[in-house]
Amino acid sequence: MSARESERSRKSVDIESSECRLPSSLVSTVKSFVVPASRTLQVPIQARPVDVQDVPLLRQPVEVHSHQFVSGPSLPLEINDREVRSTSHAAVSRKRTRIQPPHDIVKLSERLFYLLQPDLETLLAGCRVSFPHPPFPFQFDGMAFLMPRFGGILADEMGLGKSMQAISSLRFLVHSGQARSVLVICPKGLVSNWARELSVWAPELVVGVIAGDPERRRWQWSLQDVPVKVTHYEAVIRDRSILDEMCTEFDLVILDEAQRIKNRASQTSKAVCSIPRKRSWALTGTPVENRSEDLVGIFDFVAPGQVHDGMSPRVLGAAAKGHCLRRTKDKVLKDMPPRLDADRYIELSNEQRETYRRAEEEGVLRLSEMGQEATIQHVFELVLRLKQICNFDTATRASAKADCLAAELEEVQSSGRKAIVFSQWVETLSRLRERLKSFGPLEYHGGMSTAARDDVIESFRNKSQHSVLLLSYGAGAVGLNLQFSQYVFLFDRWWNPAIEDQAINRAHRIGAVGAVTVTKFLSVGTIEERIDEVLARKRNLSDVILSQAEPEPAASLSAEDIFSLFGLKLPDQLGRRAA
Amino acid sequence: MKPPEVGCSQRGETPVNRFWSPPMVSSAVSSHDMTFGFLTVCDAANIGTFGGYLLVDITGRPLEFHCTAPLRVTRAQEILYGATLQRHLHGEQIGGPLLKATQLSPVAVLTDRESLLHARSYGASPLLAIQEQETDGQESREETLWLGAIRLRPHAEDISKMDQLRPHFETLSSSIELAEPFDRIRAAIDEAQHH
Repeated sequence: MSARESERSRKSVDIESSECRLPSSLVSTVKSFVVPASRTLQVPIQARPVDVQDVPLLRQPVEVHSHQFVSGPSLPLEINDREVRSTSHAAVSRKRTRIQPPHDIVKLSERLFYLLQPDLETLLAGCRVSFPHPPFPFQFDGMAFLMPRFGGILADEMGLGKSMQAISSLRFLVHSGQARSVLVICPKGLVSNWARELSVWAPELVVGVIAGDPERRRWQWSLQDVPVKVTHYEAVIRDRSILDEMCTEFDLVILDEAQRIKNRASQTSKAVCSIPRKRSWALTGTPVENRSEDLVGIFDFVAPGQVHDGMSPRVLGAAAKGHCLRRTKDKVLKDMPPRLDADRYIELSNEQRETYRRAEEEGVLRLSEMGQEATIQHVFELVLRLKQICNFDTATRASAKADCLAAELEEVQSSGRKAIVFSQWVETLSRLRERLKSFGPLEYHGGMSTAARDDVIESFRNKSQHSVLLLSYGAGAVGLNLQFSQYVFLFDRWWNPAIEDQAINRAHRIGAVGAVTVTKFLSVGTIEERIDEVLARKRNLSDVILSQAEPEPAASLSAEDIFSLFGLKLPDQLGRRAA
Repeated sequence: MKPPEVGCSQRGETPVNRFWSPPMVSSAVSSHDMTFGFLTVCDAANIGTFGGYLLVDITGRPLEFHCTAPLRVTRAQEILYGATLQRHLHGEQIGGPLLKATQLSPVAVLTDRESLLHARSYGASPLLAIQEQETDGQESREETLWLGAIRLRPHAEDISKMDQLRPHFETLSSSIELAEPFDRIRAAIDEAQHH
């Protein structure tokens, strides 16, 4: 007999025995009913035992899972002197930016740790950090993206404040005790810019710039009480032995303009990737400059092995998604002043036209004669020569572009505004400086010392007599904040549209007070027009990967493209190499 | 590279000592070491009722989190318990074990479910129900604690402590919205449920 049946049997016995003990008073109340003989009442007899259902009561202890988030040493949070408001925050409708656990965090307790944090705004308020300007909501999103990540790429379009988001995030990590040693690596020309940005967005942090002779640098690298160190890529290569020797692990390494390490075989990439570190953040507005492999190179720093060569753009985009955040101005800054693009198609002057015709005929003839011996370098030399003629006639210094630029600058100057002009060549900048004397031009290029460049930016920013700044793409396209300029002129075109965008975004960025007019000069019927067509096609590749869309055909500049600029056939050996 | 590790244990077990140092977020509070509890339940269709209990410091940062396995109630139980079901289920079956699970002594525990006030006898800390909207005003104003538009209704046992609690809640509400941690608990339960 089962326990259940036994229980039923026992209950049954109890019931019977209790019936036997019915009080007599109750028994006496029982009345008898006599059924008439004419009627037969048939009462069905229930012979089978009643099926008893047990309904368990809610008495069993419920299972409880517990997670502790234990405190540890950190900077003290002084909260007692904070203003206490009589009304709750609930009354204030404000944006709450939640920190979401990264995709690569799989352990439940670790995911809960992130989910259970208060919103970012509250966390930052708890750290008692303030901002010189209130960040945009999308910038809070960027911070919420970076903070929990040990490997992340902030790939916002230029001008959206990647530096500020990274600085605010590292600031939080330092305040909360998670980061005690941070290294920022940027291009050489931006070291002072980073130092300035850090002083604005994290004024309470001690920042050290690694510079000087080897002994001094060794001492600077070893400083323990400097939480944030700033250096440039070349210094990391140069001081690699010092870093190897010291074996110092940084809590966080930030790479600015991280496309510098897109080539994994380069010394830069090897030196940067060899730095011991806990967290790796990469900042770049152009994670894909030419080929999808560019992104693979950056991933070697932030999350090695996550992506690899040979992935289709769509697969690569999907694999990179959890580590990469990209926003564009048109999506997040709907209220930002517009960028007005105006291409100027300029006829060469007669002198330029004649010089150009001769140079092209001679160059193409020479390339044709070289036949299979012609290399890409030979073609490039011709391209560069022709482009220089489009800027200035080598013999007479005539320049239709310069004439046009001068006319445009008249208006800029008379309205009290400022313009920046980009060129590929320092020589062109020097000639422009001569030609544009009346506009108080200043030059900024890689041939100048860092201190001299800083002085130029300060003068351009603060002195009204300087209406125009002449910059080389190489030195001026990245990192500078020139949002007080309302006009951008691309005197000649760079090979890569991403670099051109970076140049333009020196002016068209957060803080721009009005519309930014971008003017690109193109000499009609020249190599510049043909290159422009190729550049237009190249713009697609970056969009494909970052939006995980299907690729457009012929998205990058190939050797075949370069030869075809002059209607030449690709030499066999180059064709085989390309294949 | 790993995020900070946190302790995780079943009830009755010693928390695992695998804490990352330094921690992701400091929970260092003031010299008062004030902690606050947030207790709630949430229903998941076809799964049951989950309970969640979050303990935070004065800045709203999490210190402990406890959640229950889902509790399913049958139709028969609904009929048998009748009007007492929620009180029993929330207050005794879920709220009680959760309040007992903590290793901290919160200044007070807030709940967004009136039924959880019945868990009061399982914990030592005052228990108050948070209400953001005006109710019918059955309770006298003396029995409630008002913080702006937020009304806190204490368990009968804690009515006498309201004056003492007010400054603590004012301090807490200067850091966080008092109803906000319940969203975190629900998100965490949802995560745990789908993990």
